[in-house]
Amino acid sequence: MGSESTFSAQKRNTGVLPTTVATAGRGRAASAHPRGRQMNKTFNNVKITILCGFVTILVLRGTIGIGNLVSTEAEAENQHLIEETKRILAEIRSDPTDPNEGVEQYLELNATFSLGPRNSTWNKDRKVWLRKNPQFPNYVNGRPRILLVTGSRPNPCDNAVGDHYLLKAVKNKIDYCRIHGIEIVYNMAHLDKEMAGYWAKLPLIRRLMLSHPEVEWIWWMDSDALFTDMVFEIPLTKYKDYNLVIHGYQDLLFEQKSWIALNTGSFLFRNCQWSLDLLEAWAPMGPKGPIRDEAGKILTANLKGRPAFEADDQSALIYLLITQKDQWMNRVFVENSYYLHGFWEGLVDRYEEMIEKYHPGLGDERWPFVTHFVGCKPCGSYGDYPVERCLKNMERAFNFADNQILNLYGFRHRGLVSPNIKIIRNETVPPLVIVDQFDIRHSMRQGSGSRS
Amino acid sequence: MLDRLLNPRRARQFQRLLRNGKVTLLCLFLTVIMLRGNLGAGKFGTPEKDLDELRETFSYIRKRVEPRRVLEEATVVAHGQQQATDSTGSGTNNYAEFDITKILKDEDDGVPEFKRDRSQPYSLGPKISDWDEQRAEWLKNNPNFPNFIAENKPRVLLVTGSSPKPCENPVGDHYLLKSIKNKIDYCRLHGIEIFYNMALLDAEMAGFWAKLPLIRKLLLSHPEVEFLWWMDSDAMFTDMAFELPWERYKDHNFVMHGWNEMIYDQKNWIGLNTGSFLLRNCQWSLDILDTWAPMGPKGKVREEAGKLLTRELKDRPVFEADDQSAMVYILATQREKWGDKVYLENAYYLHGYWGILVDRYEEMIENYHPGLGDHRWPLVTHFVGCKPCGKFGDYPVERCLKQMDRAFNFGDNQILQMYGFTHKSLGSRRVMRTRNETSNPLEVRDDLGLLHPAFKAVKVSSS
Repeated sequence: MGSESTFSAQKRNTGVLPTTVATAGRGRAASAHPRGRQMNKTFNNVKITILCGFVTILVLRGTIGIGNLVSTEAEAENQHLIEETKRILAEIRSDPTDPNEGVEQYLELNATFSLGPRNSTWNKDRKVWLRKNPQFPNYVNGRPRILLVTGSRPNPCDNAVGDHYLLKAVKNKIDYCRIHGIEIVYNMAHLDKEMAGYWAKLPLIRRLMLSHPEVEWIWWMDSDALFTDMVFEIPLTKYKDYNLVIHGYQDLLFEQKSWIALNTGSFLFRNCQWSLDLLEAWAPMGPKGPIRDEAGKILTANLKGRPAFEADDQSALIYLLITQKDQWMNRVFVENSYYLHGFWEGLVDRYEEMIEKYHPGLGDERWPFVTHFVGCKPCGSYGDYPVERCLKNMERAFNFADNQILNLYGFRHRGLVSPNIKIIRNETVPPLVIVDQFDIRHSMRQGSGSRS
Repeated sequence: MLDRLLNPRRARQFQRLLRNGKVTLLCLFLTVIMLRGNLGAGKFGTPEKDLDELRETFSYIRKRVEPRRVLEEATVVAHGQQQATDSTGSGTNNYAEFDITKILKDEDDGVPEFKRDRSQPYSLGPKISDWDEQRAEWLKNNPNFPNFIAENKPRVLLVTGSSPKPCENPVGDHYLLKSIKNKIDYCRLHGIEIFYNMALLDAEMAGFWAKLPLIRKLLLSHPEVEFLWWMDSDAMFTDMAFELPWERYKDHNFVMHGWNEMIYDQKNWIGLNTGSFLLRNCQWSLDILDTWAPMGPKGKVREEAGKLLTRELKDRPVFEADDQSAMVYILATQREKWGDKVYLENAYYLHGYWGILVDRYEEMIENYHPGLGDHRWPLVTHFVGCKPCGKFGDYPVERCLKQMDRAFNFGDNQILQMYGFTHKSLGSRRVMRTRNETSNPLEVRDDLGLLHPAFKAVKVSSS
């Protein structure tokens, strides 16, 4: 390039030398086209610039791929992932009907429904079986064998939080039952198509009674009921002449005929013929379809305060006991001296007060045995109460109970709404001294007062 | 301008020089770029990598949020158009829109807290040296809590657990629920107690190490327990009839699924599995827990230990120390001290890797029967790597969840057959009758004899 400029310089010089006139002319020519030359120069510059720019872009595109600055590829993949996950979740949540099943057939209004073949010698059969099988006694360590039955639907809840509280509720039940030597059956199957929903417990209870003659008491508990007194034990000796123990109020039942006089969220059935008979008498209002709808109307008409909806097991039992009082009531114990079922609304705000003033083992309004979150329905999409109130208090009730379990291990929750725990007892004392003092099973045996 | 400073010729030369320089620089720049783009100049990397780095730095937050967004968005969309109406101050009744983490928070309730002395090296608790004697004394004084509940049948506590906060995956809690139901069923049949842990006992031993402080605490708090059976939350029982051969372990304290050659000869990091193991309640166990713990504390200790383990063990990828690799390392390097009391079981699937089992369930149903516990009918199907509670696992979500459903139903069928039912198929939640109801229910025996099995029988006192 240097040679070029010299060359052009020489050219210019030579251009200058020949004639002044020529120079003048050229100068005149040059001055006449200074714009021209300038334009030429500019044009050249622009050409070079464009060329260079073009090459740069080519090179950059080739190496970096500028078109992907917006990361459309990642976006597309994301979108695909979302679609896939959506599909999987929907498939898991749904309850696809079996194509071979055909249309759902509901029982006719006049059809009779039965839970199973009639059994009229159950007491005798059971006694014989127990005698033949001494290795499966109905009394263990002097206490009758209890089977706690609970359950939930086989498909995921409508929302993740529902399943989380089902899980916490089952942990709560496992803890109570481990301490008190009770076995648990967690049911996730619809044993009877027609008795779906809240009626599903009837065929289940009947099936378990007949399959487990060694079980003395079957205790049904709803999935939204939590144990909040880990020390309290059901005083079964009180019920030696009774076959059904249920929480409720006699006056609400017979005088007011209220639809919430009893609560079927937590009750005990003795394993005997009487119970099978009661279940059989209870069942007819249950079958899904026109029977349940019609029964619902009858119940709403006859029970105080009942809204209009299909027949539910609780209203049906109340109606049955009211109308056939003489047949059944002598064996039904309506319990309200402790909270075999404790309606959560009146209890959950007082937990701090209870911790301050009382101690576990009381089971009543001072320290409720069971806190039952009726109406919250966390497994569904909508409840009867504000979600925040329900979930916050379910968490509080869970932690209130969990503190009683963790006490043995020297831990406690950081407040009733916290999932985190803190150490409240250092390991300075020999561990077995702690066990004797704090293990609920040992303190119960010793008959000493329990600590919170 | 330059013309005024220098004489015209100089000025022109200077300008020329400048122009030349500019062109040279431009060409150089282009060359370098092309070379980088094609060859990648060593550790400076390619422009693509640069841009990726840049993108990552600036969209760090976006990237962090994205994986979570996938599942969250999917849930939101899957719910369709759930109306979000009731917001009249009393709060919504709609569970779909509520964020539970809003309400879960720590509070001070006045009960004083004890904190571990951080200046001391980590330990699970104060050293105990005479646990065997203490425990024997206690058992003598408490005959109502024997450590053997029947002849040759020790009292066993099955320990499992999960996080106290809702799963990040919207269906994770549902699978945890099914998993615990599965364990409840097995344990009810076999007379085993369950402890479901939902508390993080020690923040330093978080993650897979959380089981160590828990196990130690449970051993010391439950002297009546002879064997503690740890089981991961992603492991399911698939053989309800198989009873563990307790007599086989009467001289051992630690039973894990694994192979002697893979541990002692190969030092393979998957030579054993700590997702399902038995630990006897004795001094030896406390000692091995103390030996196991030091690699666990979160942070630098765990990172460094991870590097050591990757170096020392065969095939181990690079990540922080986990309890399983640590146990392999301990056994491989301290065999004389611990080896004689450790039983590496492989005659049955105390832990069964799901990948090789789940596709064969139908074949098993056709050819074999429950009670075998091994490859023909596995005792435990362990969904390693699926992480149903987390955002992402090591395997595709669909395969994991579908197979967990199948494994659950496979085990559940054995429970339902007691009552005369079975699942319509291994993939279906619906059940159907296999046995008609009779008016003599006690004469019916279930095929597997699980209603009143021998291993549940109570000691009959001679009258």
